[in-house]
Amino acid sequence: MKKFILQRLIVSIPVLVGVTFLLFWLLNVVPGDPVALMMKEHISVDVVERVRQQMHLDDPAWVRYLRFLWGAVRGDLGESYKLKRPVADLILNAFPNTFLLAVAAALFAWIVGIPAGIVSAVRKYSLSDHFFMGFSLMGVSMPVFWSALLFQYLFAVKLGWLPVAGFNSWKCLVMPAVVLGWSSAGIVARLTRSSLLEVMRCDYIRTARAKGLLGVAVILRHGLKNAMLPVVTVMAIQVASLLAGAVITESVFNIPGVGRIAVGAIQARDMPLLQGAVLFETVLVIFGNLAADTLYAWLDPRIKFD
Amino acid sequence: MRKNWQLLCLTALCALLVLACGAWAGEKVLTVAYNEEPQTADGQMTTSCYMIPLNVYDRLLECATVGPGKSELVPGLAESWEISDDGKIYTFHIRKGVKFHSGEELTGKDVVYTFDRMLDPATKALNTDILDFVDGAAERMEGKADSTRGLELVDPYTVRITLKEPFVPFLSILASPQASILSEAFTRPLGDKYGLSPETTCGTGPFVLTEWVLNDHHTLAAFDDYWRGRSKLDRFVVKVVTDTETMRMLFESGEIDIFDCDFAISQIPYFLGHKAWKDQIVSGPRVGIYYFTFNQQIKPFDDVRVRKAFQMAVDRKKLLEKLYYDQGQLENGVMPAGLIHYNPGQTVIPYDPARAKALLAEAGYPDGVDLEIALIASASSQWQKMSEVVQAMVAPVGFRVTLVQMDEAAWYATRKEGKLPMYCQKWSADFNDPDNFFYTFFGSKGTVARSFNNISDEVFAALDRGRSELDFAKRGKLYADLEKTIVIDQAAWLPLFSLKHLYVTQPRVKTFVVPWNGWSDFSAYEMEVE
Repeated sequence: MKKFILQRLIVSIPVLVGVTFLLFWLLNVVPGDPVALMMKEHISVDVVERVRQQMHLDDPAWVRYLRFLWGAVRGDLGESYKLKRPVADLILNAFPNTFLLAVAAALFAWIVGIPAGIVSAVRKYSLSDHFFMGFSLMGVSMPVFWSALLFQYLFAVKLGWLPVAGFNSWKCLVMPAVVLGWSSAGIVARLTRSSLLEVMRCDYIRTARAKGLLGVAVILRHGLKNAMLPVVTVMAIQVASLLAGAVITESVFNIPGVGRIAVGAIQARDMPLLQGAVLFETVLVIFGNLAADTLYAWLDPRIKFD
Repeated sequence: MRKNWQLLCLTALCALLVLACGAWAGEKVLTVAYNEEPQTADGQMTTSCYMIPLNVYDRLLECATVGPGKSELVPGLAESWEISDDGKIYTFHIRKGVKFHSGEELTGKDVVYTFDRMLDPATKALNTDILDFVDGAAERMEGKADSTRGLELVDPYTVRITLKEPFVPFLSILASPQASILSEAFTRPLGDKYGLSPETTCGTGPFVLTEWVLNDHHTLAAFDDYWRGRSKLDRFVVKVVTDTETMRMLFESGEIDIFDCDFAISQIPYFLGHKAWKDQIVSGPRVGIYYFTFNQQIKPFDDVRVRKAFQMAVDRKKLLEKLYYDQGQLENGVMPAGLIHYNPGQTVIPYDPARAKALLAEAGYPDGVDLEIALIASASSQWQKMSEVVQAMVAPVGFRVTLVQMDEAAWYATRKEGKLPMYCQKWSADFNDPDNFFYTFFGSKGTVARSFNNISDEVFAALDRGRSELDFAKRGKLYADLEKTIVIDQAAWLPLFSLKHLYVTQPRVKTFVVPWNGWSDFSAYEMEVE
């Protein structure tokens, strides 16, 4: 297992370099000047030229890229052009908010999605099955910005139960977590349902029933345990992508997380900040996938770490 | 024992909750929303987001709002000043007893340091152009001098600034937030880390920056030792809200006290028609102008007849009525109402589609002509709407307009090169002087950097004269003539209108002063809440 993890980590190094190179190249081919953007309507050509020189923006692209890589290797992601602060500090300060949101959304997705999937599978084609599958379909299909606005209008403006936006109390977490987790809950519910239905047709389930086990025990102990294999894999990947920043949710609910930092960096052509954010998010996704693969092999002993 | 621990933890938690909920109870707190994260609290390092500089610092002079859309230069940190007869030497007498938030007293040394720091290349300041006229500024910026020749400390409370040539708007410029005064003792050791957090920010202004959560909010607390007297507010909280719908809902749920309609123009009819909010609207004229540009480097606008035809093809009155709910007045020049030397008698640009069509034919386009309007994708929808309406409005005359969407970075980069096609924008006064409008758009560098390309030696020479003309009446006449040359004779831009600035306030807001220039950034010093 250790060898497997080590191999995967080594393979991820070229992935990281490739991602940063691709991003650097893309941002260099599209037009845009971070200093002109900083000054916007108050542009002064003389000032732009002078500040560009002072920020080494006129150096050749490959020099700037190698400078970034050399810094990254030493743990220094540089300083944001726009916010003038160290990139690592900006990301690490924002990450706890994104982490909290991702964990809350994932918990919502699992707590709602798994039972919904079980009920739908056990009572196939019943009213509750249709209800839960409709619920999951809505979650998967409805864009986050739309469900967010509906939730804000209903629960904050009309009913006054929750704050519209912000991130300074547990109440602020409820709506974004539900909105963000709804789509994941839908996927988890559907996957749990189909996987459980497949497992429940297996011989060992019939055997368990034949030896007189209660229905609930058959489902939870024998059925669900085996049916969760694909669900766990998806859940691990979901957590990784949630951690990588829920851009729209963070924007609509005004959550100062990594996603908002990344969007701000793109808009401002803030190369160091964007490179740092993408590098960070790539690492999260790589680790998420690695965790999923490791979990998969750990849960199913038939799968080997090759 | 275990139970005791649980009890202790529970009590501590309850106490924390009570403290958290009651910390601001009974305090007078004004909460507003702003649509952008300030880059820094250092006024020298930003060209937008002046909310922090306007509240945390003071300037030598202040541009006070003395009536709707009216301003007056009043003494600030300089108690008085003298200007030499040749208009080149400014002597400022610094107010005594003014304290910085750090507790030390302001002296002339801080003033000299502030302006010299701005010109120091190590600072990488973005606002150096406001000090371009100071003697020795160029050498300092180029790193050829260790100090600025024109900045002198005469005695601890007297500062002399010498200009290389007369520059009439200089006093007005010193009242702009870029010219906020810093503490040398506090700022110098911090280097480029100054202004990035509450701990690294210090001014003499009415509020102290006490909390700053990036992308969330910043909190300013009243400064007890403020030289003009403590603010009536205890705290002033600015939330950073990028989504306009969220901003509106925050206002409607009472989480913010003031809704700035500039952040969401389309919400104006909603508030005007809402029975609970329509009486809560506070508005005031702004010294600012909406305009369309003509890029004379791009056909067909290289021909003055085409530019004049476009001016006459746009029904500006209808634009004002339909898109901005008639909340403003038409403008025909470069200077909007409220600006010093504003000329209400400026020749009116008529709406005359028939004449526009004839002019277009005369210019060699009898079958019409293609042109582009450049828009920033995902920016405020007002530009999109305005461009779409104008596109339809000018079509019968023969202008076949294509709307080109660009991302913000590309838009500004292309404009800086002088290659952006026609676009629509607005400009509000940074300081109350015609130079802030004329030189910005029609100066030799500005006209290229803003993609007008109105290369006119006559205009450039007149602009230079305007900067140094000391006689008030002569200067007014000069700008009135120049306005006619630029707008009527050269048809270098299409002025549209100046709009009122509308805010909706919660009933608990007792005093809210609409800033004279129409900025969304304002000083909260005179604001009051119940």
